[in-house]
Amino acid sequence: MTFVVTDNCIKCKYMDCVEVCPVDCFYEGENMLVIHPEECIDCGVCEPECPAEAISAGTEPGLDGWLELNADYASQWPNITIKREEPADAKAFDGVPGKLEQFFSPKPGQGD
Amino acid sequence: MSAEDDRLHHVSEDGIRQLVDAFYVKVRADAELGPVFAAVIPGDDWQPHLDKMYAFWSSVMLTSGRYKGNPVIKHTVIPGMKPELFARWLVLFDETCREMFDATVTAAFREKAERIAESLKLALFYRPDRPWPPQATP
Repeated sequence: MTFVVTDNCIKCKYMDCVEVCPVDCFYEGENMLVIHPEECIDCGVCEPECPAEAISAGTEPGLDGWLELNADYASQWPNITIKREEPADAKAFDGVPGKLEQFFSPKPGQGD
Repeated sequence: MSAEDDRLHHVSEDGIRQLVDAFYVKVRADAELGPVFAAVIPGDDWQPHLDKMYAFWSSVMLTSGRYKGNPVIKHTVIPGMKPELFARWLVLFDETCREMFDATVTAAFREKAERIAESLKLALFYRPDRPWPPQATP
């Protein structure tokens, strides 16, 4: 199994998770991160670190779409292991519902 | 080993070092796990592996970010790797935790170890066209 990044990461992208991940399994899109399901070892260290509470255990119900999105983009986006500044408007987007439909960008981020 | 009162009530870098050292003493003496590890520890020099494990458990239990690696790939190249070995590993790890830490800390280690073991097992052995959990290999 694997942990997954979900909706509230979009446009928040705090990146605290990448510093604590022992296996460097985060990949960076333009406005969110995803977890590579085949690299994640399910240690769960990242989950409580996320200020936006956007990381969930993949075993929780209703996450199929997110599991798929994480797997798809992890193989396309660059690896990120070093935290940078979050977007200036991260706080304003924290908790906004339905960010996937409104704001998701399939473009890659800058990575390390 | 130690009396109940001497058991550690919290996780520290020092506690992790003691745990890892004691655990690998058991591993090396174990009929199932010993030979599998011995085959991949170069020159019988365990210290580099122990150092890596101090960092790994520090990252997992203390979120220190000290370990950086790819354990899935590391495990794919181990000769004689079998799903059943994870169960044996967990028994010895839990036993060592119980000898050193109180019940709460032991449970915290157990939860992490079981999740990680299951995840590694899936990564190494899960195939969509075969039954899960895997049947014991003869």
